[in-house]
Amino acid sequence: MRFNEKELVSLSRQPSEMAAELGMRGPKKGDVVKKRLVKLVVNFLFYFRTDEEEPIGALLLEQCRVEREDSQSFSITFLDEAERKYLFECDSEEQCGEWMDSIIKASYEFMRKNLIFYRTEIHRLTGKDPLEQYGISDETRFQVSNGLQLAPSATSSL
Amino acid sequence: MKLHEKILTHYLSCTSPVDKEGYLYKKKERNASYQRRWFVLKANLLFYQERPADRHLQGVIVLEGCAVRRSESDGQFALSLAFEGTGLKTYRFAAVDRQTQESWVKALLSASHCYLSLLVRDLERQYDEAKQQQSSAGSHHRSSVGALKQSPPTSVFLPAPGPAAAVRETRSFSASAVLQAPSTATRVAAKKSPKLWPRRNALVTPLNGPAPSYGEWPLVGFDSLEEFSKLHDYYGQEVRKAREDWLSGRRAREEGDLIDLG
Repeated sequence: MRFNEKELVSLSRQPSEMAAELGMRGPKKGDVVKKRLVKLVVNFLFYFRTDEEEPIGALLLEQCRVEREDSQSFSITFLDEAERKYLFECDSEEQCGEWMDSIIKASYEFMRKNLIFYRTEIHRLTGKDPLEQYGISDETRFQVSNGLQLAPSATSSL
Repeated sequence: MKLHEKILTHYLSCTSPVDKEGYLYKKKERNASYQRRWFVLKANLLFYQERPADRHLQGVIVLEGCAVRRSESDGQFALSLAFEGTGLKTYRFAAVDRQTQESWVKALLSASHCYLSLLVRDLERQYDEAKQQQSSAGSHHRSSVGALKQSPPTSVFLPAPGPAAAVRETRSFSASAVLQAPSTATRVAAKKSPKLWPRRNALVTPLNGPAPSYGEWPLVGFDSLEEFSKLHDYYGQEVRKAREDWLSGRRAREEGDLIDLG
């Protein structure tokens, strides 16, 4: 499958709050822990060999499960398959917690759910749809839920 | 660089809804010809394949750091995705009519992760304000029953449990299923704001002015409301212009018809 590699590499070079050297172990049998520069940019987790400009790889952080493995390490499982479970070793319990939290919150789907929650609540509390002012009320991606509509109010409809 | 494709294709086929799909003509880079492709937009990913029924995905475009534009200079109903940075591509497309063009431009404008994160922060602020106003009005509600201002209680359907019911699992989080309580999100945001999000936002660049050179995108004194309004204004200009052009085009055609009948 083709993808815009140069642009994605360029994205990986953007400054990020969550960038650190972690121990990283791949999912395959026989994979060992290696020191990698791991960087979270939007909903991608990039990993680099230390001091290299181009990442080795990019993991899309959607539909994945983040779990604590022990006090200082966590794992990310993709496709619900054990063969796609990546392990990350941090330097401290606090760092481990920060990474887990950041990765979960970086997911587009997680953010979308939050958006829908706030939109619904603001509408309930104020009677107004907060997306109307931005002209994006009818965008499919911001709809409340799978076609289900809120009870229409007199002033606006979601 | 390795892009773990199976993760992307799995995400594409999973239960969360597709944001937009349809045919567009994609311009080939080498010659100037167009090829019709079926595009599927989900989150900040634009997938394409030859036909909707195809099992084989031809490609994906990650939509971060690009400016979405109507590009009439390329031809009728044309649009482009211009990635900002030296040596980066511009993808060019053409739609079959104005409505399709406008609809895709609008959908692509709001597709990026950066856009969504600014929007969520803005709504979070509005939500906190609305809650404060409500509690100062003297009522405290924990359930989903409507506020004093609204007469019938609004029944609210949420795809995930509301904050009061959200259980924070000690061992595992499922990124796709657990909705964090907003108070937690506020706390985290307050602790790290604005640094929680990437400080350089490739999309906060004026569409109608020259793009700042790579590495110079300013986000000093980042204020989510101010930035989102700016972002909205920049994109709003494009959308408004598209609408105006379409309307004036329509009017011109109608006037033409009248003349013909006269």
